[in-house]
Parts: sequence; C-alpha cells; structure tokens
Amino acid sequence: MAAARILADGIAANIGVGLRAPHIAEVLASRPAIGWLEVHSENYMGGGPALATLLKLRRDYPLSLHGVGLSLGTAEGLDRAHLLRLKELVERSEPFLVSEHLAWSVTGGVYLNDLLPLPLTEETLAVVSRNIALMQETLGRRVLIENPSSYLRFRHSAISEPEFLAELVRRTGCGLLCDVNNIYVSCTNFAEDAAAYLAAFPGDAVGEIHLAGHFRSERHGRALLIDDHGAQVSDEVWALYGRALERFGMVPTLIEWDMNLPPWATLLAEARRAQEVAESIMAADADAG
Amino acid sequence: MPTLAELQRHMRTALLEGEEAAVAPHIRGDGLTAAERLAVYRNNVMSSLTAVLEQVFPAVRRLVDERFFAYAAHEFLTRHPPARACLADYGEGFADFLAAFPACRELVYLADVARLEWLMHRAAEAPDAAALAPQALERVRPEETPRLLLGLHPSLGLIASSWPIDRIWRANRPGVVSSEEIDLDAGGVRLEVRRSGSDVVMRALPAASFAFHAALKAGETLGAATERALAEDAAFDLAAALVELFREGAIIGLALAPEMPSA
Repeated sequence: MAAARILADGIAANIGVGLRAPHIAEVLASRPAIGWLEVHSENYMGGGPALATLLKLRRDYPLSLHGVGLSLGTAEGLDRAHLLRLKELVERSEPFLVSEHLAWSVTGGVYLNDLLPLPLTEETLAVVSRNIALMQETLGRRVLIENPSSYLRFRHSAISEPEFLAELVRRTGCGLLCDVNNIYVSCTNFAEDAAAYLAAFPGDAVGEIHLAGHFRSERHGRALLIDDHGAQVSDEVWALYGRALERFGMVPTLIEWDMNLPPWATLLAEARRAQEVAESIMAADADAG
Repeated sequence: MPTLAELQRHMRTALLEGEEAAVAPHIRGDGLTAAERLAVYRNNVMSSLTAVLEQVFPAVRRLVDERFFAYAAHEFLTRHPPARACLADYGEGFADFLAAFPACRELVYLADVARLEWLMHRAAEAPDAAALAPQALERVRPEETPRLLLGLHPSLGLIASSWPIDRIWRANRPGVVSSEEIDLDAGGVRLEVRRSGSDVVMRALPAASFAFHAALKAGETLGAATERALAEDAAFDLAAALVELFREGAIIGLALAPEMPSA
C-alpha cells in the first residue's frame, strides 16, 4: 500500500478538513499544514466575499466541493438553475473532488434542507442514475456519491444500499464517497453489522472517505444514533476506518464537524488521529508483506 | 406501492405539516414507530432552518427571546419553506411575516428591525463590484447630466422606519449589554446599509439624501432623483451628494437614459 506524502507537521497530504465559516479567518492567517480543504458548495454560490476568500485559499490548498442541495433523488429531476450555479463554482474554483449524496431534499419546488431517505427500488435507481448522469454531463467530470446516514427505511425497498451504490457506479461511471460514520450510524439504527456493510461496499469506486462524530440517544432501549457531526469521531468509527483503509487503500480522508463547532485545533487533532490510524494500517501491511 | 414522486410529496406533508397518515404505512418499524423515525428528520429540517434564521436575525431573536423566536421561526418556515438550496437567500419574507403575526403585535418596531437585519445580511452576501472614480463624470456632457443613470453598489440597501430601529438594533446586537433607554416616540429614522471592505456599515441619512439614493437605486435618472430630493429639502446640494456617493465607493456604473421624445 503506497504511503501518502507527509506535510510539515506530520499530517499526510491525503487528509483534509471540512472548512466552516467560523474557522476561515484562522485558516487564512495560519495556513495550517493539512492536505486539502472541503466546503459545502451551496455556501459559495452567491459569489461575493465568501467566494473571494475561498478562491484565495484555493491558491494554497487543493479543494473538494461537497454538495448538500442538488437532491439527486428527486423524482421530478434536477433543478437546472442550481446545477448551473454548481457548474460555475466548479469552473471558478477547480476542485479536485466534487461530491453529492444518495438522498433527496427537493419536491414540488420546496427545499427541505436535510438529506432525506430514498426507497431503494428499480424506479429510484432509474431516477438517481438519470440525475447523476446529467450532473456529470453538465460538469464535464466524474462525481462521487456519498452513502447517507438513515433513520428510517421504506417497506418497498428491494435492494441493499451497497448493491444500490454499486449499480449507480455501473450505470453512470460515478465514484463513491464512503462515509464511515454514516455506515456506523445507519447500521446501528437498524441493528445491522457495520463490518458486513463495509465488506459489501463497492471498493474500487471509492474516491474519498468521510469521518465525523455522531450523537447517541435511545428509544425503547434501542440505540438511535443521530449523525450531527457534533463530536469527535467515536472509537467504533475509528476501528471501522482502519478496516476501510485496508479495503480501499489510502484514499483522501476528510474530518467533518458542523454542530458544536470546536476550535480549529481540535479538527487538526482529529486529522492527526486519522494519520495515526493510516500509519498503523501501513505498518501492519508492511509486516504482512 | 407509491411512486417515488408520490412518496416525496407524502414526506413533505409529514415533515412540514405533521400529517403522517399517507407516508407512515410505507415506513418499516424495526422497533420504533413511524412517527419516531419521522421525528428525527422533522427535527433536522426545523432546527437547521431555524438556525439559518437565527443567524440572519440575531437582534430580533434577542428582542423576543430564544423560545418565542423558535416558535415564530417554526410558523414561518412551515408556511414559507425555502424554494432553493442556496440558503443565503432564505428569510426575505420573515419581516413581513412578523408584521402580520398576531403573537408579536405589541412589538410594533419588530418587523422593521427584521427588515434592517435582512438588508445587513444581503449587504454581507452581495457580489463584489468595482467602484467608479469621480473622474468618470468628466466624460458626461453637461446637457446629458439630467439623463444620467447611476448604478449603485449591489450591497447598498435603504430602509425608512417610524421607529428608532438603528438604536434598537445597536442595543440588541449579540454580545452587547446595553442599559440605554430608547424612547420609541423619539421619531423615525432613514437608514442606508452597505458593505465597506468586508464590514457591513449603517448610517442615518437626511430625508433629501434618502429620497435621492432611493430614486437612483430604483433606476431613476439623476434629474428625476434630484427633483425628489429637492421636494424633501429645497436646500439639497446635488454636487455634495454626488461627492459623497463616490467617496463611499457606492457608484459602480454610469449610463444614459434614452432622450424623451419632445412633446
């Protein structure tokens, strides 16, 4: 397994951090030695000072654009105006990765601002494939599709999520963003085995990994995990991340944090921890080899 | 089995209106009720959109307190959910909603404070535009001056209120502790909001300047805008008003309106 280039203070060039507005001034001033930055595309579609700042950071860091609003699962098809705004942002910021979710948030001209669950059926496969194809055609590039965290499933779902993702890859040529925390959250919420899910994940297509923390609650004595990106990555997810690296190799990995946003230094510490996991996997790999 | 489009309409009804009957039969229980599972998503939608409004309207939130704000936000966003995924555009109708919201009728100035915060938010998000230097006027022939159209910076916004909303806003910014007593009968105010560098700035304008800026912003000619300003104050000084606009970097374009056909 090839090691990634190591930056000044020990974080590998393939480990990135999700950049949120409260940290921008500090990152601009301190230019931390991290591999790359990821932002939510929708926060930079208005142009103005936010985009100007992003383009300034882009001179020093590779950038990943992570969309949360295109709604690839919408039966009515994509909002063309939104897709064109994304195209303009991609052209201006030249990201090395562009990603979206296997989810929906738009129906009847209303945007619900959450990554809502889809029934995994043949009809949904046709809808999402068509929408991904239009996205890739419009942007003129391959995009990565992220597995969502889920709190409900539909009775008429007939395809497992890993199979569904594999079929999207087959039909559209898209890549996948494997969110390891989402795997853990969804599998726990449906009392399923996260390791088995990971083993079934279409590994060849994985172009990025996401890591984040979740919130643990209970209903009727059952765990209900909420993917709030509001805490440190849990021990179970770190363990699953190690397995993911064994399967997928050293793909770019992102630390995400949204709720209860901590100081920037905490995110750097999480990035270092990801680095340690990667190093231990590589060491074990070398011993075995 | 519902089509995907039907299922998505049912989900929207369940999340925004609380009517779960259409979607619940299609949700697997797995140890929880459909209502409990839907509640996770509804909470995500409501809390994330409420947070968007809290960011845009921090002084309004302080004026009514956190709990009332959450209630008002809930009522607003279930009736006026966002139409697009760029949430920087979301919240425009909140001031009008508050103006008509019976539960805060006694806070007569609240809707205008919300309008002011919306202008400040738009000013912060507005696209950049290069300011023109005053020398640009040298190319204009004197007889063309009344037909001149001045393009104003996209961040520039104007609001007139019957209440001292600038003082109310300053005393209720997040983190500000103020014991200032604000006399609501002290009279109204006319405000200009714009971006200066990376900051949003606000200042009170005399009636004539306000009328002048408002007319220019509405796309009226320099001649028509001057007449509106003179109607407010016969001593309005056009040259000084132009110098001030250029100094603020507020003028980004010059054009000539077509000549009116002679009668």
